[in-house]
Amino acid sequence: MTEKTKEFWRWKEYNWHDEAKDPKDVETISAGVDVGSVSSQAVILLDGELYAYSNMRTGSDSPNSAINAMNWAMENTGLTMDDLHYTVGTGYGRVNVPFSDRAITEIACHARGGNTMYGPTVRTILDMGGQDCKVILCDERGKVKNFLMNDKCAAGTGRGMEVFADLLAVSIEEVGELSLDVEEEPPPVSSTCVVFAKSEASSLLRDGWSKKRVLAAYCSAMAHRVVSLLERVGVEKDFAITGGIAKNSGVVVRLERELKLTSLKSKYDTQIAGALGAALFAKALVEKQRKKVAQ
Amino acid sequence: MFTKFFDWYEKRHDYAREWIAKNNGEVMGCFCSYVPEELVYAAGHLPHRMLGSHEPQDVTEPFIFGMFCPFCRDVLAQGLKGRYDYMKGITIAQSCLHLRQTFTSWRNHVAHDFSHYIYMPNKVQTDHARPYYNAELIKYKEALEKWTGKEITEESLKDACDLYNENRQLMHEVYDLRKGPDPKVTGLEAMVMVASSFMVDKKDHNAELKRILPELKSRNLNRDTGARLMIVGSEDDDTKFIKMVESVGATVVVDDHCTGSRYFWNSTEFTGNLMQDIANRYIDRVPCPTKDWEERSRFPHILKLAHDFNVEGVIMIQQKFCDPHECDMVPLKEFLAANDLPTLFLEFDVTVPIGQFRIRVEAFLEMLGVEELF
Repeated sequence: MTEKTKEFWRWKEYNWHDEAKDPKDVETISAGVDVGSVSSQAVILLDGELYAYSNMRTGSDSPNSAINAMNWAMENTGLTMDDLHYTVGTGYGRVNVPFSDRAITEIACHARGGNTMYGPTVRTILDMGGQDCKVILCDERGKVKNFLMNDKCAAGTGRGMEVFADLLAVSIEEVGELSLDVEEEPPPVSSTCVVFAKSEASSLLRDGWSKKRVLAAYCSAMAHRVVSLLERVGVEKDFAITGGIAKNSGVVVRLERELKLTSLKSKYDTQIAGALGAALFAKALVEKQRKKVAQ
Repeated sequence: MFTKFFDWYEKRHDYAREWIAKNNGEVMGCFCSYVPEELVYAAGHLPHRMLGSHEPQDVTEPFIFGMFCPFCRDVLAQGLKGRYDYMKGITIAQSCLHLRQTFTSWRNHVAHDFSHYIYMPNKVQTDHARPYYNAELIKYKEALEKWTGKEITEESLKDACDLYNENRQLMHEVYDLRKGPDPKVTGLEAMVMVASSFMVDKKDHNAELKRILPELKSRNLNRDTGARLMIVGSEDDDTKFIKMVESVGATVVVDDHCTGSRYFWNSTEFTGNLMQDIANRYIDRVPCPTKDWEERSRFPHILKLAHDFNVEGVIMIQQKFCDPHECDMVPLKEFLAANDLPTLFLEFDVTVPIGQFRIRVEAFLEMLGVEELF
């Protein structure tokens, strides 16, 4: 691939499973699949413990994206769809997951997943996804108390960041660190529209701004925009970020700076929060179903 | 059971044309629910409240500001597209700025024979409003008489008031059937029932209501009621939205909209001075936020509705750029929260993004009753 045709936005797709665990040995295999507008994740739990997951790009077709993500999570595990006791679909394509037993919104799933990822002290979860942004207030169990989603625009989302990575020919994974490598914080790009922001960035480059400085200006704009969303709901401590942008230190650091808050960190992959929550709900639902049958 | 109401609502222009042919009267386009329809009806005309068609359009741009509310632009589009070519008269009772300018634009750009601007006082929370509005209505009555060349008799006015009161009473009876654990009427049906009442002769509307009411009382909708919701806010006849809400595990059991309960909630009370009685009915009605000050008298009314109809959550909708409602949304949200009523706020446009709204509504419903998931 030549430099000209390289897709800088393209983040790595991956799968993982815990080789120390044996799926044959458990009572409940529950699964969650989160078909987002940009990425899809599948998570498999063995008796509520994380066993396997995958993260890949959503295709043009939601059912296939769900199947592909789940198949990839099951790769080399010996599991098949038939082994899953209960599956919850979530995300933008939640109603189009052909093998799911139930659909639950990503808002509930992120709260539930975030509760496990960050612990029961988390009260505010900011999910910065591919094409939208959600602020979720939750209780100590991860039950949603209130939420707010951004409206009508992809600025402040992963898709916006991808556009900038491509424009500046910087790998999406490096955007955050590079944006922090500036001597002085530049003013944020003024527009909140991805397309307009891109035009503005082009003119900044023409004016002689370095790539790092333009990235800093965009990460800063994104942080500003998200802070205003957070302020509409009110941030309660502890605070955590899920979704792809949580991996972008350029946005996270600036967000924390503006909020005067540190976000909780987790050993889990921040992109699996929705699918993890879905899988946890799947476990609770199948157990309730079994109890009902037993009665 | 509500087929007739849906027919009237969807084929409003066919109904109006047929009415003109049969009744030797004209159709009066009413901008805003504060127009005293009784006077129009007593003059032998058919009051018809102006609503939009919820279709994207590109005809209003030179005639009204782009930042005026989508409802107003949608209404004006109907005139500019010639859909009301049969309508000879238009009247507005002073309402919000956006609708006032819609009326003015209509008057300037859409053919008509008669137009009248009623200076409905915004400050209804003062006794001065009563004689003032009475005087305005007398002027309107005279204007109508001049246009038709016929006197509006006391008798015809009383008959119109009785007919309108009967319609209000009947719609109340239908709303009452939504209070129980198994509502007999969906939110969609109630919405279309009220919206159609803006457009058809109250005689026809009353006859249909009387026909369905006995049957309605023993009706079984055979659907899960789910969460009992209330919907409040700007003008709202968005049938697609309410249909979606009721397809994801909820029932809209009551509303506070000028296109819903607010239109018919109070009746004309007779004290011996008919014109004053009509004026009082409009001064005393559940107010629109443009008129609900300094005290926000609507809030306790909304809370009472929520209690009477056993509401679990409230969807607050606002037409984009609808300033009067926008100013109310923050205090109303706080007021409802203080009374343990969770709210979901959504901004409406001519068409609503069903997918995006669906996730918000579903998440709201999950928030109301997610216990089974834990």
